[in-house]
Formats: sequence, structure tokens, C-alpha cells
Amino acid sequence: MAAYHAVLVHFPIALWMTATLAILLRAFSDGALAKAVDRALVPLLTIALISGVVAFAIGLMVWPWETISSTPLGRNHVLLASWTVAYWALLLATRWLRGEAVWKGASRWIMAGLALLGSFLLGVTGTLGGHLVGIYTEVSNALRLLGWEVFTTFYVPNVTLAVIGVITLLLIGLGLWSRRADATA
Amino acid sequence: MNNMVRRAGVGVALLLFLGALLVSWLTHGTGVIKNDIARNIHIPDELTMPFQVMAAYNGRNMFFRYRWPARQPSIYHDMMKFEGGKWVRYGASVPGPQAQGIYEDRVAMMVDDGGVPEFARYGGYITIGDRMRFFTNEAKAENVKAHPYLGQKRNQVEVRKHLPATRKDIGDWSSVVPEDELAALRKAGYFLDLWHWRAHRSNPINASDDEYVFDVRSGDAGKGPFTDNWDAEKKQPKFMLDPQKTNRRALNWDDLIQRKLGFDDVYYISEDTAVPFDATHSWKDGDTIPRRLLRRGDGSHADIKVFGRGLWKDGFWDVTLTRAMDTGNPMDDKILVDKRVYNLAFSVHRHALGSRWHNISLPITLGLSREADLVATRFDGDEPTWNQPWHTVTLFYPGQVSWPMLNSAKHAGAENIKKGVPVKYRHSESQLAHYGVEAEFADEIRRQWLFTLFAGVLLVGGFGIALNQLLKRNQGV
Repeated sequence: MAAYHAVLVHFPIALWMTATLAILLRAFSDGALAKAVDRALVPLLTIALISGVVAFAIGLMVWPWETISSTPLGRNHVLLASWTVAYWALLLATRWLRGEAVWKGASRWIMAGLALLGSFLLGVTGTLGGHLVGIYTEVSNALRLLGWEVFTTFYVPNVTLAVIGVITLLLIGLGLWSRRADATA
Repeated sequence: MNNMVRRAGVGVALLLFLGALLVSWLTHGTGVIKNDIARNIHIPDELTMPFQVMAAYNGRNMFFRYRWPARQPSIYHDMMKFEGGKWVRYGASVPGPQAQGIYEDRVAMMVDDGGVPEFARYGGYITIGDRMRFFTNEAKAENVKAHPYLGQKRNQVEVRKHLPATRKDIGDWSSVVPEDELAALRKAGYFLDLWHWRAHRSNPINASDDEYVFDVRSGDAGKGPFTDNWDAEKKQPKFMLDPQKTNRRALNWDDLIQRKLGFDDVYYISEDTAVPFDATHSWKDGDTIPRRLLRRGDGSHADIKVFGRGLWKDGFWDVTLTRAMDTGNPMDDKILVDKRVYNLAFSVHRHALGSRWHNISLPITLGLSREADLVATRFDGDEPTWNQPWHTVTLFYPGQVSWPMLNSAKHAGAENIKKGVPVKYRHSESQLAHYGVEAEFADEIRRQWLFTLFAGVLLVGGFGIALNQLLKRNQGV
């Protein structure tokens, strides 16, 4: 499955990188070209997500779970891949559900920032995948300088898990509060 | 909801999301890895260290010169202190650093001539078998003692280094192959020569231990450079210092703790400085007698000597060992031949750490006037001039990584091992050190990693809900 995974990951990488460029273009421009590109954004993100999920699923079959979950690099690759897929699903949902409103006012810069963050996650995921097959890049040195040794598993302590849990609940609460406020307005 | 409140809500959601990411980044990798002596876990402060080596030969003798950094020389080891009317032992092998700092520095070198092919690719990893000494899951002493071969015939009380083919199943320390097969393997050269210098148990008398790794790690035939100075029946040392020669019967405990005794002081007991223990002497609290008696070894066990003096100066040990190229003991030693290439791997103990708490190297090649990682230079005369540059290798803390584990489903590179891919091709020393540490907390880290993975996905989901509810919908879509 390793060879299939290596082939399949090219699709989400290419599509999400293209989506990043499209989002940046639309964030910086209200011109006809930017609007035309934006109209293709939802289909583009949808295809990217589908191909990403497929590549992720095939990737999980490269090694047995016992193997990939015992290897620091393998764990990191799976973790970053999960977050990348979830994150780009969020971007798709946002553009799909909120429509062109995401380009109004400061929202456009939020979209641009989120796209860049998504590209970062995608880049790190790809880098770790390369490491797994013995292809090393300087990205790991950059991450090391930023404080993460990629040959150690990325995990957070229980206290941070609790913080993330509380923040997640606050975010959901914020969303529900906004929904109710809109409904009663 | 008016736009101002909506914008504030988006800002709060962004702050919360980015804040969670920041906290995760700043706290990652913490909360799991910690010393746990009850589980034989101690993580050294430094995971890698430099090590330098030179080699030379004159056709009769081989010389290896080693140099490595150490904060201070640890030259005391295994002492019996008189306290409360009895002799109490300090300085035995313990998990992590010896509390009083009484544990000697050591350098060891495994040598192979191709008789153990996996050694050239994986070095000392192949000698780390199932349930090794001081691993968290180490085999129980009573089980090893009861083993018909290892315990009864080889007097083992713990699982020590051994080679894979000496076991029917590398994942079972007790599955030793039949003795006739062991004999055939040994005769075929399937063993590793082990040069083992110790700062207390051999260096003071300019000697080195000469050992091998085969079915166990053991000394070569003959007498080694030290023996026990303890009468278990009488619960007292067998020997004390000769007051005629050393001006004392025992060392002073405070001198040891304050590291007052240096290379030129009496800090050890040897055949030349010992007399039978006098139980009638009025021993006082703090009197201390080394538990190891240094002696002139003999036979194959005494092939290796210190050339000059092994000394620590300005933060570095500088030790030169020498041995006849052909010791005449081919069943114990790897005979060194001009123009031939060998495989070596090194290890260093320092900072009062013993047992598995050493730093090791990956295997390197040694060429006797042949192209290799380390080229031994031929010289005329009796003393090498050491004109050649040092060969520097990185030593690393190996953690609890065993050969059975490396060949199991828990190692993504197990297939590569089957294919014969050398460890150097895929791993750096630094990487292996990190993996070694993580292997000691494998289950805990895997659990925490899974929690982190799901927490991250939920966070993204929560952020998605907040963002989508807060951003205004475009009526035209």
C-alpha cells in the first residue's frame, strides 16, 4: 500500500495548495478573476477532501496499526494527517455554508490566515511522510528550531488536554449562542 | 445579532483556537517522560556525546587510543563502609546514577572480523535480547538462576548481552540452543571480542578486562583484573589495605564523598597493597575498604593492557589500550591481521552511571592500512606516534531498545532489517537516542498521542462550529 499512498497523496497536496492560492487571491482581490476562481473553490475543496480522506485511509494500511502507532515518526504523521484533513474539512464547511459572506470585511483575512495555517499543516504532514520513507528535508530542522524535535512523538500533557477540552466546549457554546441570537433577532 | 458583537465573537473564537494551538505547542512532549527508578527508568541529561578514537599497529601489537569528555573522573567503585558495627556496601550497579557518586567510568569496544555479519549493520543492538538486565521487564533472578544452562552451568543471575543465534527464539532469553550447537557456533567465530576498560577495576594496575559476547557476556579464559573482596560468610572484607605499604588499613569515607583522592592517591586495593582482613582491629565508622581486589590476571583474560596511563585531564579521559594482534586465543579474541577490515562499536559509562546507562556508537569499520571509517596506521618501533587525526563518532543513550523489539511489528524498520539495510542508512544517533527514550514509555506515549490526536480534531470541530455560526451568511448563496 505504500506505493499507492505515495501516488494518492499527490492529489490532496496539489488540490489543497491550489485552494490556498485561490483563497489568497480572493482575499486580496474583488476582481472578476478572483470571483471566478472563488466559484470553483467549493468543488475544489470537496475533491481535495475526498482525495485526502482516501489517501489517509490507504496510508493507514501501509503498516499494521501496531507498527505505525509504535513509531514516533509514524505517530506524528498520522496525527498531522488527521489534523490536516479535519482542518481542511472545516475550511470547506465554512466556505460552503457561509458562502460569499466569508469575503466580507475582516472575514477574508481570517480565511487567508486559515488557508496559510492549513498549508503549514499540510507541509508538515508531507514532510513527516517523506521522513518515514527515508527522504529528509530541512523542514524538520526548522521545526526543531521552533521547539519540536520531529523524532519525538507530538503529544500534550493531561492539563493541556483539559485546556483543549474546555476551549472546545467554549467554542461550541459560542457557536450555539450565536445561532440562538440570530434565531431570536 | 449586530455586526459589532458578531465581529467580537469571531475574534474570541480565533483567540481561543489559536490559544489552544499555542498552549499545545508550548507544552508538547511533557508530562510523560520522567525518571521512575522502581521501573528501572532513568533518563540521562545528555542523550549524545562525542567520542574520539585513533588506532595504530606495528605488526605485533595493536593500539587504540580513546578520548571522551566527562565532567569529572569517576575512579571509585563498589566500596564497603563500616557503619554501626557492620560493613555496608555502596557502589553496586543500580538503576540510574549511584547516589554517592561511587561508580567508575568505563570504555568498551566490541570487535568483529565478519564472523557475526549482523554486527556490521546493527552494532550492539544485536546483543540486546529479551528481558535484559535493568530493563523494566527484566527477567527475575530466580528464573535465570534456575535455568539449566545459563544459571546452573554459566552461573548467570541476570540476562546479559548475547548474540541472536545463541537462542532458538530471539524473543525468549531462555531458549538457548543445544550446547553442541553453541560449541560449533563459537568455533566458527560467531562471537564478539570485547575490550573493556574500567577506571577502578583495572586502570590503577594498567590493565583492562578482556571479554567476549556470545551466549552471555563473559570474561575470556583465565583470571581477570579483579575479584571480589568480600567474605559472605563472615560478612566482612577478605583483605584490607597493608598499613606498611599504604600507611592505612582503610580509606576514609569522607575523602571519597568529597572526591579528595586522585590518581596518585590510594583509592583502590590490589594484590600488592593488600593484607588479610584483621577483624580484631578497632574499626571505626567511616572506614571504607574497596569491595574489589585488583590482581594480575592471567591467560586469555589478561591480553589487554593500558599503554602509558589512563588519565582524566581538563574534562577529558585519554586512555590507550594495547594487545597482541595475534593473542593465540582465537576462540576468545578476534585476531587482528594487517590489511584486513574489522567492525567496531564503542560504549562509554560516565557520571556515576552503570549497567545499561551507557552511551553507545553505531558500528564503524576499522581498516589496518585499509580504507575504512577508522584507519589504523602502521608504525615501526614500540610506541605509536599518534600523528593521525582523531576519528570522531557520536555516542548516544540507547534506552530500552532490544533486538526482539527491532524485529517485531513494533518497529517499522523490521522489514528493512530482514533485507539487511544498515541502521546508519535510516537513523542518526540523535534520532536513535530519542527513539530509545520513547521506547521506555511506549504505552504511555501512545495513549497520550491518541488523546492528543482526538483532542486536536475536536478542537478543529469546535472552532468550525463557532466560526460558521458567527460568520454572517450571504443571502445570495
